[in-house]
Amino acid sequence: MKAKIRIARAASFLLMAVLLAAGGALAQQGATSGKDQKEDAAGFKEFLGRVQAYVKLHKTIEESLPPLKDKEELPEMISAHQQALARKIRQARLHSEHDAIFTKLSREAFRHAIRSTFQGRQAPHALATMKQGSPLTKVRLKVNEVYPDGVSQTTVPPTLLQTLPKLPDELEYRIVGRDLLLLDVRANLVVDLLRQVLPWILETQD
Amino acid sequence: MRRRSFHCLLLLAVLAVLLPGRGADEFKLPLKPNSVRFAAIGDMGTGEPPQYEVAQRMVEARRSFPFDFVIMLGDNIYGGSKATDFEKKFELPYKPLMDAGVKFYASLGNHDNAKERFYKFFNMNGESYHTFKHGNVRFFALDSNYMDPKQIDWIKAQLHDASETDWKICFFHHPLYSSGRFHGPATDLRQLLEPLFIQYGVDVVFSGHDHVYERIRPQKGIYYFTEGASGELRRGNLSSSAITAKGFDADRSFMLIEIVGEEMFFQAVSRTGTTVDSGVIRRAARAR
Repeated sequence: MKAKIRIARAASFLLMAVLLAAGGALAQQGATSGKDQKEDAAGFKEFLGRVQAYVKLHKTIEESLPPLKDKEELPEMISAHQQALARKIRQARLHSEHDAIFTKLSREAFRHAIRSTFQGRQAPHALATMKQGSPLTKVRLKVNEVYPDGVSQTTVPPTLLQTLPKLPDELEYRIVGRDLLLLDVRANLVVDLLRQVLPWILETQD
Repeated sequence: MRRRSFHCLLLLAVLAVLLPGRGADEFKLPLKPNSVRFAAIGDMGTGEPPQYEVAQRMVEARRSFPFDFVIMLGDNIYGGSKATDFEKKFELPYKPLMDAGVKFYASLGNHDNAKERFYKFFNMNGESYHTFKHGNVRFFALDSNYMDPKQIDWIKAQLHDASETDWKICFFHHPLYSSGRFHGPATDLRQLLEPLFIQYGVDVVFSGHDHVYERIRPQKGIYYFTEGASGELRRGNLSSSAITAKGFDADRSFMLIEIVGEEMFFQAVSRTGTTVDSGVIRRAARAR
């Protein structure tokens, strides 16, 4: 068992080193140009517009449900509220695709922001955060699915969060494998996802 | 034969008298009047026998050291968040404490469901990060799973507004310093939080995540404790490290803390009731 852990650890460090080296090479190939920066700003603006529209929908639906009293709830009441909210949002977004919020333009902006985090000075810390924070390699989620109960949460590197657009209280970024998720935390629902944008980290058990 | 039975009965009677109070002789906390008394547990929500055994030691400890509340350092409920999970992994093991009026204040770990913040017995008031005060101690419970700019702004403002005379204690799941081999320190998080902790005079930080007990030598004037073994355990996981003041990775454990004036007394107790670490932190000794 210990030998397996050692091998997994050595492999992950090797992978980390390769990623960092590759990252450095890519960074040399082309720093983000002024045109890219403008396009990224436009991409994030478009993304936040879609986010606002989603939050409006969320609020409308949540207002139609009996309110959740923050201080007095029991597990079954919290779950019932969450499930009802998720069900109604899912119905309202029945035909949503995986690019409803991460539009083509915003996807590029996110890719640039993620690349800059994992190629810059903070890269070793950000990678270590993901590795320590329960990477998930066997879970694959889709838009409008609930985040599975009992599955741990990969820590989103704080330095990455500093570079991404700020979200309203209803939403959070989550990491599942190499995918970046947009999760409705009150409904526990995957709102959208960006596939294969994060570095590969070996799964650990804790 | 009858004589042997008598001796066995006598031995059992002596043990019955001694065992429940076996930790009492070892308590190193001063029990001063008007002190703030609490316990700390982390990575406990397994629902397995060791969690219940640690909880039982806490109940026994409270007979000698009547603490008022417990801070929870994350991974409060492993493996699901159904009503039965809350019951088996929290309400049943700590029932004697809850019945005695002990309050629990939670922070969230990577195995916790975000909806735990609405659970009334965790006293989070629907927020994944929150603050509360007991006596001259201000507590800040952070969500280290998701340290976004909003939370950074919040903790900055809260620390800024906290009284200069209060102790400032932060607790959250991922340790900024740790000698645990499995996880180790959250250096990304440290780069963001440590400058704020120094700037605003945080005194002590409690975390979990690594399934061991560890007291770190003061780092830049701040005391760090990891208590991530109150249910889970990663036996033998502590590496020898220059930053470790004291470590324990042979069994589960919990912490007892008493704060009075400028002193914080602490004691780490194992699942078998043995004291594995104890000491006092004097705030006046720090460059503030």
